[in-house]
Amino acid sequence: MAEWLSSLRQRARALLRRRRLEQDLQDEMAFHLSMREAQLRASGAADAGIDARRTFGSTVRIGEELREAWAVAPRLAGFVQDLRYALRTLRRYPGFAIVVTVTLGLGIGINTATFSIVNAALIKPLGFADSDRLVALQEQMVGFEFDDAPFSPPDFLDVQRDQQSFVGVAAYLNFSLELAEGGEPVRIDAAKVSATLFTLLGVQPLLGRTFGPDEDRPGVDVAVLSWPVWQTRFGGDPAIVSATIRLDRRPYTVVGVMPAAFEFPRRGTVLNNKPADVWVPMAFTDRQRQARGEEFNQNVIGRLKDGVSLAQVRAELATLAERINASYPPALRGNGFSIALSAIPLREQISGRTERPLLLLLAAVGLVLLVTCSNVANLVLSRAASRTREIAVRLALGSSRARLLRLLFAEAAVLAVAGSLLGLAISNVVVGAIPASVAETLPAARDISVDARVLAFSAGTAIFTAIVFALLPLFGIDSGMPGPALQEEAIRTTPGVHRHRLQSALVVSTVILAFVLLVGAGLFIRSFAALMTVETGFRPSGVLTAAMTLPRAGYSTAASVRSFHVSLFKEASSLPGVRSAALVTDLPLERYERRTFAPEAVNMRTRANTNLTWVYGPYFQTLGIEMKRGRPFSDVETTERRQVVIVNERLARTAWPGQDPVGKRLRWGLDVPENPNPWLTVVGVVGDVADGPLGAPTYLHAYEPFSQFPDRVLNNVPTAFGRHVKIAVRTDRPASALASALRSAIAGIDPNLAIESIATMDERISDSVAPRRFSVITLTAFAGGALLLAAIGLYGLLAFGIAERRREIAVRLALGAGPATIVRMVMAQALKLVSVGVVAGAVAALAVANAAASLLYGTEPYDSVTFATVPLVMVATALVACALPAYRASRVESFITLRAE
Amino acid sequence: MGVDKSVAAVLQGTLELLILRTVASGEKHGYEIAEWIHAASAETLSVEEGALYPALHRLELRGLLASAWDVSANNRRAKYYRLTASGRRRLKESTESWRRSSAAINQVLDAT
Repeated sequence: MAEWLSSLRQRARALLRRRRLEQDLQDEMAFHLSMREAQLRASGAADAGIDARRTFGSTVRIGEELREAWAVAPRLAGFVQDLRYALRTLRRYPGFAIVVTVTLGLGIGINTATFSIVNAALIKPLGFADSDRLVALQEQMVGFEFDDAPFSPPDFLDVQRDQQSFVGVAAYLNFSLELAEGGEPVRIDAAKVSATLFTLLGVQPLLGRTFGPDEDRPGVDVAVLSWPVWQTRFGGDPAIVSATIRLDRRPYTVVGVMPAAFEFPRRGTVLNNKPADVWVPMAFTDRQRQARGEEFNQNVIGRLKDGVSLAQVRAELATLAERINASYPPALRGNGFSIALSAIPLREQISGRTERPLLLLLAAVGLVLLVTCSNVANLVLSRAASRTREIAVRLALGSSRARLLRLLFAEAAVLAVAGSLLGLAISNVVVGAIPASVAETLPAARDISVDARVLAFSAGTAIFTAIVFALLPLFGIDSGMPGPALQEEAIRTTPGVHRHRLQSALVVSTVILAFVLLVGAGLFIRSFAALMTVETGFRPSGVLTAAMTLPRAGYSTAASVRSFHVSLFKEASSLPGVRSAALVTDLPLERYERRTFAPEAVNMRTRANTNLTWVYGPYFQTLGIEMKRGRPFSDVETTERRQVVIVNERLARTAWPGQDPVGKRLRWGLDVPENPNPWLTVVGVVGDVADGPLGAPTYLHAYEPFSQFPDRVLNNVPTAFGRHVKIAVRTDRPASALASALRSAIAGIDPNLAIESIATMDERISDSVAPRRFSVITLTAFAGGALLLAAIGLYGLLAFGIAERRREIAVRLALGAGPATIVRMVMAQALKLVSVGVVAGAVAALAVANAAASLLYGTEPYDSVTFATVPLVMVATALVACALPAYRASRVESFITLRAE
Repeated sequence: MGVDKSVAAVLQGTLELLILRTVASGEKHGYEIAEWIHAASAETLSVEEGALYPALHRLELRGLLASAWDVSANNRRAKYYRLTASGRRRLKESTESWRRSSAAINQVLDAT
């Protein structure tokens, strides 16, 4: 201990008197040399000075050794020196340094970016207090094929009143509001939420407060703003709290502002998935509270009480569901209508749909990381092999093994740091390049950022590989006997069998991984191609569309809504270049209303649901939807209520298989005598139109003229139902050129009306497949990267191998082998490795493709085109990779080489 | 080489012990230390200078030796090393342990 302390003291002193110590040492050694010289001379030596120096050895080396001992942190000083040396060495082999750095950079960058996305979407905590205790409650209508299970208000209120398992439950519902203050009128995403929602999530406002329990009733117009809206529209002014703003042209009092990180509703659920910019109280009306079996549109979440398990919750919900079913109107119950309640963790509801594609992406990227590692290993190994001689010489000259280890380590570290920095840059670019249309489909897209831990993980993996393989050659040489290594290297025939096998195995594994990725990319490209040729059921080119919502305050009556329709239709139809125009509640690729229907005098085995769209004007003609039978709506039907309906082929087939549907009747609701809805006569049948993202199966679809939309709803129901207006115009000119004319036509009718979006139909199609396109591009990039890496690996193996086999090749040439023979020999070696890789890769790819089958569209997992193309691409790449080494091998000058040995 | 073939290299690890012992008999400079060991071992052991100076400095860093510049017998400036208290302690311990182990080694070598 004392020794250690004094050592530290001495070192500190050494640091201060560095120059003194240096001088002392020089003087001391000079003194010694002169003493020895005098002694040798006295004993009669001729070259006393030289002899003295020779016995003394290198004064430089003694100095180096001592300088290291003097340093406060001797290892660090040594390491800095090693780094400097490593940099110098790498500068001499720029090709090697660049290839390794780029390989590491690509692997680390791609891996980090992808993992950051997956992390943001699936792994990161939701940002709510104790979010593992939050669950999503769902209400299914038994026997109905709804893809999500939202609650009906009275049923939610019953659960809220009677449940025992939760600290509380809250409902929320997305809608939109017009905001005209602080700039151009815009429609912002909004959410109606139970007053208890914020407390339930465990979040605090940044400014002001959230809603009080007494504010959750109609007539209390209060709002909480999001941070982005507060910043962009109100300049971040704190005086916003308790100020009055106009939303949908009605005054609201702002009571609070949420922090920037708060995002709710979260993306990823099927419904109610748009992060809101303003929250208002749910405020159920009396009518809503009593409307059993209607308005299944509320998302509900609850916070579990301590110690309550999901299984207990499910048991309680089963009991509650029975009680709720008993309170349904007898007419519904008599028809076999019933509901069921269920609960799943909130995280599962949010990320469930995106989990599979994201995990696939992660698997792909894992493969890229493996390829990177195996490739870096191969490169480093090749280089290390060519240094065996250098290392043996150093060992023979007395370099310590530890010292060499440090040198090799320093080189690996320099490459690793460079590669990681490049990787960081690449991952930043990739994360920044995620298109908005894709980000919107991912939960938690707002907070995607490069994750430091992820970067550390991928960089760590690749660097570890690099270091392990960099150090391998050192252990192959016995420091006591470096001779054999020197001799072997001097003979330079063929590389050691062991290392050769290891390198070949690495190349084969790279080929396998690249093959799997290429097959994946190929299948996705084929799927996408199939998707782009899918029959949409309409003609998108030349169609421009715009979307808006009429706020209740400006359009409080059915008459005012209808008069807007008339004006807009007239204005749009008379725009120059417009062939036809139509208004509609929802365009193709969208879904608006889905309801139950009952065809007259048909006993359907299963209850039938259909999408329902209201149209105004020549909609089918404008969108280019084919009339299969009957006729479109007449002018009279457009303006007057004539109880007519047009159905798509799928609905016609479902309700009246094998019959002519024109003239048949149906009505909304169940086939019970109490049903008050009027019968509608089918006047026409249209082709099936995609009503979701391209490639989604088409659904039953019915169209009504907007004249039949109930005035009662427009006059009395406080929702935006029926107030959504989409306009489509068909033109012979480029559709986008019409945008500004359409915009001013709308402003001419109502200058305050916010236009939510204005886009050509082609753009809407493109947006609907953006996530798929993103997968295709990413996977193709990954596969391309892996292919490149495989090619680099193969090239590296061959190029270094040929350098080592120069003598053997020279002998062959000298013995009469022509250059063609040598080229064949090198090619054969390459193709042997590649074909092993391709065969093994095909087997692996078949398994992977099978697992990913559900993500494909119109493409078999064993797609013959893909499986035929990929091996060709692989082999072609391999031939390119080995062309240069093979050429070099054939040009070996046999006599020069042999003489040099 | 000018060095007798019968001269053995100082065993690794024993150099420090020999230095401590040499300096224990009075302060000496580096050259004297090398010569003293050579002479005291009846010219059997020779110290490599390449190892001597690093060893001296290491011992000084560890506080087992102290040094000072002084004038040598032939009137030249030389760096003299002497034992510190902890150096003396270390010498005693090391000598005992060396004696024990060399006796043991001899025993093994002489065993029949």
